[in-house]
Amino acid sequence: MVRVRDLSKAFGGNPVLEGVDLTVLEGTVTALIGPSGAGKSTLLRCMNLLERPDAGEIEIGSHRIDARSRFSKRQLYALRRETGMVFQHFNLFPHMSVMRNVVLPQQRILGRSKAEAEHRAQELLARMGLADKGGQYPNKCSGGQQQRIAIARALALEPRVMLFDEPTSALDPEVGAEVLEVMKELAAEGMTMIVVTHEMGFARNVCEDLVVMADGGIIEQGDPQRIMGDPSHPRTRSFLHAVLQR
Amino acid sequence: MLHAVLTGIPLTLGVTAAALIIGTLVSLPLLACTLSGNRLLWLGARMVIDLLRGVPIVVWLFIFYYGVTLGSAKLSAFGAAVLGLGLVSGAYLAEIFRGAVSSVSAGQFEAGRALGMTSRGLWADIIAPQAWRVALPGYTTYGIGLLKDSSIASTIGVAEMVFQAGNFARTTGNGIVVFLLAAAVYILVSVPVGILSRRVDERMSAVVAR
Amino acid sequence: MTFFADAQEFLPALLGGLRVSLLLTLLSLLFGLPLATVLAFGIRSHNPVLHWLSVAFVEVGRGAPALVVLQFMYFGLPTAGLTLSAMASATLALTWTTGAYCAEYLRGGLSGVPQGEIEGAEALGMTWGDTLRYIVIPQGWRIALPSLMGFAVILFQTTSLAYTVTVPELMSQAYSIGSSTFKYLTVFVLAGILYAMISIPATWLSVLVEKRLNKHL
Repeated sequence: MVRVRDLSKAFGGNPVLEGVDLTVLEGTVTALIGPSGAGKSTLLRCMNLLERPDAGEIEIGSHRIDARSRFSKRQLYALRRETGMVFQHFNLFPHMSVMRNVVLPQQRILGRSKAEAEHRAQELLARMGLADKGGQYPNKCSGGQQQRIAIARALALEPRVMLFDEPTSALDPEVGAEVLEVMKELAAEGMTMIVVTHEMGFARNVCEDLVVMADGGIIEQGDPQRIMGDPSHPRTRSFLHAVLQR
Repeated sequence: MLHAVLTGIPLTLGVTAAALIIGTLVSLPLLACTLSGNRLLWLGARMVIDLLRGVPIVVWLFIFYYGVTLGSAKLSAFGAAVLGLGLVSGAYLAEIFRGAVSSVSAGQFEAGRALGMTSRGLWADIIAPQAWRVALPGYTTYGIGLLKDSSIASTIGVAEMVFQAGNFARTTGNGIVVFLLAAAVYILVSVPVGILSRRVDERMSAVVAR
Repeated sequence: MTFFADAQEFLPALLGGLRVSLLLTLLSLLFGLPLATVLAFGIRSHNPVLHWLSVAFVEVGRGAPALVVLQFMYFGLPTAGLTLSAMASATLALTWTTGAYCAEYLRGGLSGVPQGEIEGAEALGMTWGDTLRYIVIPQGWRIALPSLMGFAVILFQTTSLAYTVTVPELMSQAYSIGSSTFKYLTVFVLAGILYAMISIPATWLSVLVEKRLNKHL
């Protein structure tokens, strides 16, 4: 279970998140949607402490960190180990082969042997439809391939929850579809996922929970079909209207 | 005449190599301080870098050679030259490395941290290899510049190439060819190093097109 | 404190030396920059003789240490029957160095002017000379300016080597005070401070100019 309580974050005096509460159940897929500047990405980045919140509590599995009190590096790494993150711009390591991108973190973070890590990497790359790409360098791969490699890299560390930060926004629609397909399979296998996205189809059809954010807070949350069919908050209405117009 | 110039080559190369090693070692803590995010460390490193670069090399050599006494012992000419050139190199190299590190995208730091890497692992496995690749051309160019600056060691009596050439000119009264010869050696040494570095750079960027 | 008492005593002579250092810097820039402009165009020239002559001049000026060029002018040229004063040989040597380095910066600046602007000027019916004069050279200078300012600082520091050819600049004054009073540390530290007091603000200025220019380009 992932739980965020009363989370606040400001950048240079500008509040970006104000007292956000969110609970994500094990094995569910949650979509975070809302206009740009709503604080979706910041909320996601606070969950693995890429951004340090000013106040509030983050709880993932048995690990809990209170932003106001001091916490050790060890606690920080323990919490991060529960999460895997996928970025908009993939952020693969350009100086390593695809295989090494997936293998090195396993060796360094889980202490796996090279053989064990390579075995797991090969398995994951095959699942992503990239079995023959291990020897390539990332920049020789297409955007869609790179994003699937990034997913494999994160999954290799066996996270409890996967955080996706606009994973298809930098991709052409048809290439984005490949990535969404992989994410759908992951969801079907019961992976806990939190996805910041503009893909309304994915939010409606794959996600169990829809969270609508605006101005640094959650304005509406619940069943995607219900909210998209009958939004109760006026901001949700205008946002959905604007997005579905496209 | 050729003999006079050639006898100076080992010391020219020796001073250059030793100063480059010291410079690299000195640059790393300076780099760490400028990147630490701690304002005090940043300010301290900035001041050291600006001061080292703001004073001509020959002044540093004279300060270390004539000015510094360790108890009753003085630094040897070679020691003073290597120390002075090394410290100044440290300041310039710290700036070259800083530029290279800032060319690595923020996404690389984020990806490493999101994977749960410790900051040491992040630097060793992700940032340093990428930054090194960017820094290499600047590092070689600096090395070639240092080879030429090593000639300044002649002013405190290190018997390197220019010192030998000067000696020859004074004793024989024939100065025109010997200095041309010395100049030719500097150019001959720096040209292949430059070509080699460009080759290596091309090969590395061919593998990893950024 | 003795340091300050000594400093007060040495300062007039050192400042006199500093004036010579600055004069040497100025003269080298004065002659070196026009030379650099000629060399920059020489390298771009389609005439093979002009091209290779310019390349050789630049490569030797950049490849040989300034100290070697200085000594060549002062100790070498007399062998060939050409004896120049210390100041003249130092100016000649540093002019060469300046011309060689700055030619490269200017060349970079000139090739940084977008081809489209040159074509635009030609499309307007401007002559090649006018295009050069109003479009290429002013912009090329602007692009090259930060590197040229950075070089001027290096040049100022390089004038400290002119003491080896008996130019009475700052370093030479410091050395003669040092050898007569044996207060080497004091006098060299003072000289260092004087050099730094000019080099460091000048470097900051060139960084500032670079930032300003980047904003407009």
